[in-house]
Amino acid sequence: MSNAELDQSETTESTSQLTTSGESEEAIDDEWLDYDFQGRSKLAVDDLDVYYGDDHALKSVSMDIPSESVTALIGPSGCGKSTFLRCLNRMNDRVKTARIDGSVALDGAEIYQDGTNLVELRKRVGMVFQAPNPFPKSIRDNISYGPRKHGDINKGLLARLLGRDDTDQEDELVERTLKQAALWDEVRDRLDDNALGLSGGQQQRLCIARALATDPEVLLMDEPASALDPIATSKIEDLIEELAKDYTVVVVTHNMQQAARISDQTAVFLTGGELVEYDDTDKIFENPESQRVEDYITGKFG
Amino acid sequence: MSNVRKTALHSGESTTSELAAYGVLGVSFAAFVASWALIFQWIDETATFGGLSVLQLLGLCLLVAAGGLVAIGVVSRLGALDTTPSNTAGVTVGVVFGLLWSVLGALLATTFLGGGTVLWIPAALVFGAAGTVASVLPREDIGSTVPVAVILALLGGAIALGRINAGWTWEPAWSSAVFPGSELVPVVVIFGSLLGAWSGAKAREGFGAQGREAGAFALIGTVVFGMLAVLLLLIGFIVVNGLETVLTGAALFDGTLSLFGVSLPWVSFPFLTNVTGGLFVEIPGVLPATIGTLWLVFGAVLFAVPLGVGAAVFLTEYAERGRFTQVVEVATNGLWSTPSIVFGLFGLAFLVPRISGGNSVLVGQLVLGFMLLPLVLITSREAILAVPDEYRDASAALGVTKWQTIRSVVVPAAMPGTITGVILGVGRIAGETAPLLLVFGGAPYPSNTPNILTSFQLTPNPPFVTNEALLSPASALPYQLYSTITAGVFPKDIFTNQQFGWGTALVLLLVVIGLYAIGVGSRLYFRRKLHHE
Repeated sequence: MSNAELDQSETTESTSQLTTSGESEEAIDDEWLDYDFQGRSKLAVDDLDVYYGDDHALKSVSMDIPSESVTALIGPSGCGKSTFLRCLNRMNDRVKTARIDGSVALDGAEIYQDGTNLVELRKRVGMVFQAPNPFPKSIRDNISYGPRKHGDINKGLLARLLGRDDTDQEDELVERTLKQAALWDEVRDRLDDNALGLSGGQQQRLCIARALATDPEVLLMDEPASALDPIATSKIEDLIEELAKDYTVVVVTHNMQQAARISDQTAVFLTGGELVEYDDTDKIFENPESQRVEDYITGKFG
Repeated sequence: MSNVRKTALHSGESTTSELAAYGVLGVSFAAFVASWALIFQWIDETATFGGLSVLQLLGLCLLVAAGGLVAIGVVSRLGALDTTPSNTAGVTVGVVFGLLWSVLGALLATTFLGGGTVLWIPAALVFGAAGTVASVLPREDIGSTVPVAVILALLGGAIALGRINAGWTWEPAWSSAVFPGSELVPVVVIFGSLLGAWSGAKAREGFGAQGREAGAFALIGTVVFGMLAVLLLLIGFIVVNGLETVLTGAALFDGTLSLFGVSLPWVSFPFLTNVTGGLFVEIPGVLPATIGTLWLVFGAVLFAVPLGVGAAVFLTEYAERGRFTQVVEVATNGLWSTPSIVFGLFGLAFLVPRISGGNSVLVGQLVLGFMLLPLVLITSREAILAVPDEYRDASAALGVTKWQTIRSVVVPAAMPGTITGVILGVGRIAGETAPLLLVFGGAPYPSNTPNILTSFQLTPNPPFVTNEALLSPASALPYQLYSTITAGVFPKDIFTNQQFGWGTALVLLLVVIGLYAIGVGSRLYFRRKLHHE
């Protein structure tokens, strides 16, 4: 197939999409997705399709996510942004009906291939969920849960007998991650209390600290502030901006002001699981290329 | 919205009608309590107060309640009370009163008119229809008071006038039983007072939705107390009958406790600490049977809990939900409702020849373990299903494997539920008798306790470990109780069969309650650990 033919077939395909889906008022222009950013690419997603049973939840999404920055994913409910996020650490594998086609590369290494070590992948790509979900354990145990299960921290009677007790490392880890998550001052005196006794905002920051404890490179956040009040939300937002200095943060949000405040670049998903536009956050919010994106951002749609 | 009636937001403080309603409630309650007291013979039925026998007083109570109800209903219907009745008391009330009235009608017809089927069937039909009509057709304030009041008045009148008294007997043709009035009256009064309390509670809240709620709560509350009463009655009965036997020879500071070579004065409790048989035992005790029961329960729990929890983990976390898990579910439920004697028979035919060649503790433990298994499986399955998926997601997102997640998050979170199942199951197997008769029991009155801990011996040949005591028969409390009550000729003069049996029953009850307490305690411990309390 020659280049011209390839272009031709792509055009026909997008036109046919336009006519069959009906709801699309405009074809997606590939140029809206060309995003030249400064710096290194951390995650490269290429032609990713996700199906839940017969439902085509994510349609041929391709995007590069730059490292040490905040990438916001916005869009109306059911547009596939959470699905996309959960593909980045293969959490969708846990959904039995899900089928995933395409490629996601972390630092150039494909994660959707046989023999991918899920433990290692999820250690490097941490995740924070929409609702705070600390374990019904003490604050300390919540944070050291990951490292202990991975064998990075040994504790307990056997470790003590063998002289490999890592209580000091654990204390350091707890203090470091809680400080990173801006929670240390509030809980330093009650590390052994049950985490379910914390307030919602504190629980969510604990979950962030817990995710940081496995020393990830990427942090995925699925609407991390949607269940929280404005004060707790602003704390989480400050935290995200702070974390972006060392981590690659990908955050799904419903709140466009939040996306504008905290993110460096924004990807807009619209109904039907399509990525419509991906660019600098300022560009998206001030001068989007797509009419649909502009309508969405100005509140005319969705 | 013309059909919406509005009344004052606040009802008056304490109106006459409320006082009357409280009166009805109080009289009903007094009659209720007094009737139970009569049934338990705390009050002598021949006692008289002010020239009236107790039974007549009970009848008067019903009459007073009936009068109060009629008064409230009629005054409310005339619009003199600030009540909010609905247009009708409802079909359910109608059906219930139809049934009650038809029973009343049939009884009246057979009692006063004599006669057979010809009379009582039409009487029942007529009364039933009248009861339904009387409760459904009028407004609620009449419909839920007057039909009650008529029943109460008829019963109360018959009792108060002495038509039914302590000497009166009811000898129904369909049964050879004879019901004396002294027992029948309290039972009738209890039902009557419940009806009165229901109606009074409704009237107290001015009928309508609030009234119906109050009426329902009154009945539910009585049922709850009734349940507690049955439980207390059962335990109290056993304690009263068994206490004397258990306390025989017991004394404070009479015994000795040897601690590190020092003898200290200690409680002496021969019935609990003595063996049952043997030449030199003055006061036979239940120690061997108690120890036997504890070993049985311990072995069964040790066998069933790991298997049950393991199977529950497999079914909920690993197996695909489908035909297979459904079959396992049905099989588990079936196993739980299998009669215990069938388990015993299986143990006798299958396990005994292969394991011990005769009755033995080990086979008893296994059979009881089989019986415990399905309940542990069912309850831990429910408990594991109730563990929020968020925990599993959070753990997976940290890169923790499924098995580690199950071990350190899911199973601990499901622990309280599992323990609840074990508690229920232990209560059942600790008192189980039928399978023990077949696979476990030896002499019902042994002269030594099963010495299982010290009987383990290593051998050079397979099976390398033997335990003579574990493979020998023993005695357990329910087994000993059964033997004593049915066939046993108790070998000692100091107790009769019955006395020893009651004592054994009391100890069995205490052991079960003790096991229950351990279970509840550990459940509380795990709950504390899981939740912020």
